[in-house]
Amino acid sequence: MTTESDARDELIDLAADFYDQFAAGKIPEMTLPTRTKSNIEYDEASGVWTYGDRTSTRSANSVRGARKLLKAAYTIEFLANQLDDDRSSTLRELYYLSESWDNDEAQFKSQDESNDLVEDLEIVTGVTREDFHMRPEESGAKVMGPLEIREQTNRGDREIHCQLDVGQGGYQIPNNPDTIEFLDNDAEFVLCVETGGMRDRLVENGFDEAHDALVVHLGGQPARATRRLTKRFRDELDLPVVVFTDGDPWSYRIYGSVAYGSIKSAHLSKYLATPEARFIGIQPEDIVEYDLPSDPLSDSDINALESELEDPRFQTDYWEEQIELQLDIGKKSEQQSLASRGLDFVTDTYLPERLGEMGVL
Amino acid sequence: MTSFQSTIGDEEGIAEELAEGQREISIAEFFEKNKHMLGFDSGARGLVTAVKEAVDNALDATEEAGYLPDIYIEIEEVGDYYRLVIEDNGPGITKEQLPKVFGKLLYGSRFHAREQSRGQQGIGISAAVLYSQLTSGQPAKITSRPKGQSRAQYFELIIDTDTNEPEIQADEETTWDRPHGTRIELEMEANMRARQQLHDYVKHTAVVNPHARLELREPGLDEPLKFERATDELPAETEEIRPHPHGVELGTLIKMLEATESYSVSGFLQEEFTRVGKKTADSVIDNFRDVYYGRELAWSPPREHDDRDVASAVADAVANKGAEATSAFADGVAEAVGNHDRVTRSQLAAIVDNAAETVEDDTGKTFGGTVRENAVDAAWRAVTGLGRADEAADSGEGGEGADEVEESPLVPDAYALVDEATSTRKDDEAVQAMAEALARRFENLDGDAFRITRDDLERLVADAASFVAEQRDATFGETARGNVVEAFWSRAVTVPDDPPKVKAIAGDRDAAADLLDAMRTTDILAPPTDCLAPITAELVEAGLRKEYDADFYAAATRDAEVHGGDPFIVEAGIAYGGEIPADGSVELLRFANRVPLVYQRGACATTDVIKNIGWRNYGLDQPGGSGMPNGPAVISIHVASTNVPFTSESKDALANVPEIEDEIELAVREAARELKSFLNKRRSMQQRREKQDVLGRILPEMADKVSEVTGRSRPDISGALARIMNNVSVEREVTDGSVTLVVENHSDVNEELDITDIVSTEPTDLSDGTVVDMDGEWFVQWKPEVPSGDERELTYAVDGDPEFEVSVGGVETEKLTVND
Repeated sequence: MTTESDARDELIDLAADFYDQFAAGKIPEMTLPTRTKSNIEYDEASGVWTYGDRTSTRSANSVRGARKLLKAAYTIEFLANQLDDDRSSTLRELYYLSESWDNDEAQFKSQDESNDLVEDLEIVTGVTREDFHMRPEESGAKVMGPLEIREQTNRGDREIHCQLDVGQGGYQIPNNPDTIEFLDNDAEFVLCVETGGMRDRLVENGFDEAHDALVVHLGGQPARATRRLTKRFRDELDLPVVVFTDGDPWSYRIYGSVAYGSIKSAHLSKYLATPEARFIGIQPEDIVEYDLPSDPLSDSDINALESELEDPRFQTDYWEEQIELQLDIGKKSEQQSLASRGLDFVTDTYLPERLGEMGVL
Repeated sequence: MTSFQSTIGDEEGIAEELAEGQREISIAEFFEKNKHMLGFDSGARGLVTAVKEAVDNALDATEEAGYLPDIYIEIEEVGDYYRLVIEDNGPGITKEQLPKVFGKLLYGSRFHAREQSRGQQGIGISAAVLYSQLTSGQPAKITSRPKGQSRAQYFELIIDTDTNEPEIQADEETTWDRPHGTRIELEMEANMRARQQLHDYVKHTAVVNPHARLELREPGLDEPLKFERATDELPAETEEIRPHPHGVELGTLIKMLEATESYSVSGFLQEEFTRVGKKTADSVIDNFRDVYYGRELAWSPPREHDDRDVASAVADAVANKGAEATSAFADGVAEAVGNHDRVTRSQLAAIVDNAAETVEDDTGKTFGGTVRENAVDAAWRAVTGLGRADEAADSGEGGEGADEVEESPLVPDAYALVDEATSTRKDDEAVQAMAEALARRFENLDGDAFRITRDDLERLVADAASFVAEQRDATFGETARGNVVEAFWSRAVTVPDDPPKVKAIAGDRDAAADLLDAMRTTDILAPPTDCLAPITAELVEAGLRKEYDADFYAAATRDAEVHGGDPFIVEAGIAYGGEIPADGSVELLRFANRVPLVYQRGACATTDVIKNIGWRNYGLDQPGGSGMPNGPAVISIHVASTNVPFTSESKDALANVPEIEDEIELAVREAARELKSFLNKRRSMQQRREKQDVLGRILPEMADKVSEVTGRSRPDISGALARIMNNVSVEREVTDGSVTLVVENHSDVNEELDITDIVSTEPTDLSDGTVVDMDGEWFVQWKPEVPSGDERELTYAVDGDPEFEVSVGGVETEKLTVND
């Protein structure tokens, strides 16, 4: 990974590129991979999804392009100063902070605009935003399980055991999980859980203790930090990773982004995605087998399932079978529908059975 | 006459009709009844119409005489009446012409002319005279001064409403300050409620007649409205053309037949019509013979197995010519007949004449008229079996079946044709019955030559078919009957008879109708178009330019087209922006033969066409995508024709003639395309300006910021700026007495520049370019052509430290960056 001074140099280099283009009588521009679904390619070697060869150019040739580059120049200055001062800020703070810039044209019109620009800068400089000291508003994700870590905070290093030193809520994952050092662990596997309700159920039932599981809360589409930490569990601790979500097409995509990467952060897939992660459920098969309470599939669910059938990420025998089954039964079920068989069913029966089938337990 | 619309083109028709009316009712009564048609239905409108008619006349008169029109219009309040004065600088009118021109309703010199002119029906000005006389009781007061005469002539003229004859009440010499021209003064009951229409009419007349000078005074105006000339060019003189055979009506044709000096129809056609030569006249006459006389049906000659025999019949009919000559004659006829598949009586007569002459030459015997006639009759009987019943009666006493008449030989002939013409599904019996029914009816035709017109043939076949249907229950439908008619008609032969003489046709309405029919069915070249005088696109534009202060003008003139035998040309012009009011719908100016159309805009074909064009496509706002477009635009449409089809006699609105509508649309679209590219260009220039404004602000700021971040000095961004703006940049570099102007073209097109550098000391060693000494300043000029993406260096040497000032032309200022 880059160091902070590297990050700063990369930013200044980009500004210098603009400078040189001006000096040569050329129109300043920067070239990025095209960030659309059609330019996402499967990288055989790493098993994740990354940007393809198509590029787009942000050029000052148009009013829009010129405004973007002006904002980029201002943002570069801001980030460089932030790194110099060893401060950090949130994406939202950047958006508000632009209001203080002396140039109206350089101010951001919306937070999407500043978020996109930071991503552009990540891609062009090859530096992650964490190294720019930019963090998202909230991570929300937590870990609970038999793991001891050391986190570098700006108030000094803290050693924390993620089961013994934390409350019911678990250990809060920091924005830059690369500040964490793994000290010791008794974990057997990592269980990523989509909903907060299910995470709380597992913790209350003591599932992490009973099975030496690292329970990671995803909270919908997982934040980068959550995905990065999950990948480090896999790569550095050599733990198997399983993903536990609702049984509907949108949740399968959550699994997809953990395992293969997402379109917006495809430039970081090699750094964030865990191709070894496996899906535990709720499987369409489970809806039938456990006779779970269910809702009928809506039209958009059906479309989503059909487009997943076309999606190369899901073109395995396993997924084709499950998706076709789901289209066939026309039903979807939530994780918490398992409660229909009792509050302990998920921890005593469902997960042990599934983990056994998958050879994790 | 079913509607006015369809008969407007029928000048003579209207004349006739009106003239007929005049015999029965007084002209005053007639006028009263028809004044709405003539544009005099209210006092307000009557005044506008009177001005219009008088101005139209004045323009025509001056142009015909080759003068640039200078027309003065004055309206005054005189007690309860209004006095209208129109003066022109035309050739004046002689005393003899004058009462006719101004007096008698329906007189007009161009009444018979096929030529583009403003007044078309000869109704206008005399109607105004009559209107003034009927409402105010005052005569028309006319002053005329032909060119070269020292004094003018003053007349007072009224129309005797019983006889429709003009009467001159005063006739005296007078003085007039115009060197030549005509002045007409009319008093009438009127009001000025139509002031706007009056002003529009005069203004629009000025637009469409840029060669005319017009002045209008009326009580509501403090200053006279003056419209000056935009050109000294008179409209091209029009050639009068004779009528086209496809464009005349029956009434016209009869009048022409009565008036012509030609004796034969062929001569008449060639003399009186355009595009008719000997060949076309012959085709018309052949078609005329077919409708007038009918064709002769042709029959097959007897075949060998028939007991009818042409040779023996002819031989029997000839007496006292000696055996040798008789048989030579008979054989000659029989052989010639035998060479025909089918023969008509006229053809047979020709064959007999031919054979007779051959035998006469060979034998010296004379075969006179009677002999020939007898031979024709006999041979014809042999061919057609006519008269076989008589023969049977003569020779058949005691013979078997004497009272049974042998079947007519026409039947098998007819059978063959019916069989060929009808579908195979018709059974034999029905075809046979039809053939018999037809043969019977053919035999009953007058004379023995089987002459029949196509109409009669159709009726005859229909009659036979209904007979067969009744008797045999076999239907011959419309198509089958049509095929049968065609089968007979195509084998029938046009008769050799000479057509009746012109005088005879003139006296016979049916014959004249037949001739008209023949003229219309004959293919004839479209009429020539030199009888039209379009305003031309340049002058349409000049006219708009003169009266509308706009940002953009475009005009288009189409090629001539033809409707109903009359050639026409459509022109369109568009003015956009500037002082033209932007709110509400566009202004539509309508012109026919250079006359503005003021009333009934909604009923006009031009309005319909404009409404049906999708104007959004051309950059004008059009709510709902159809209807009148909105915006600061004036659209002018001019239709020039020898016969402009109006919806009514008051000549307010063009009738919806598809050919004309199509041309209007094409002309308007042609001009609108230019408007579109103007608007697009203007829009893109506007965007370019905005882009330049924004980029001109942003890029220096960005440059500042990157130099701040990188800690370097501010970069020179002029090159980048010029490139970004697709600019042409001109930059001066001065080093040690050598001056270089660098011209860089960053646009995507080649640029031809016009560069002038003004230097305060004398330049030397010029690269290309020229230098002119202007009172101590030197003008250095270059006209470099710089291809897209390329650059040129223009250099010269100069002593000391002079001042420079460069000016650059040939490039839009928006595209130009000069760093002097």
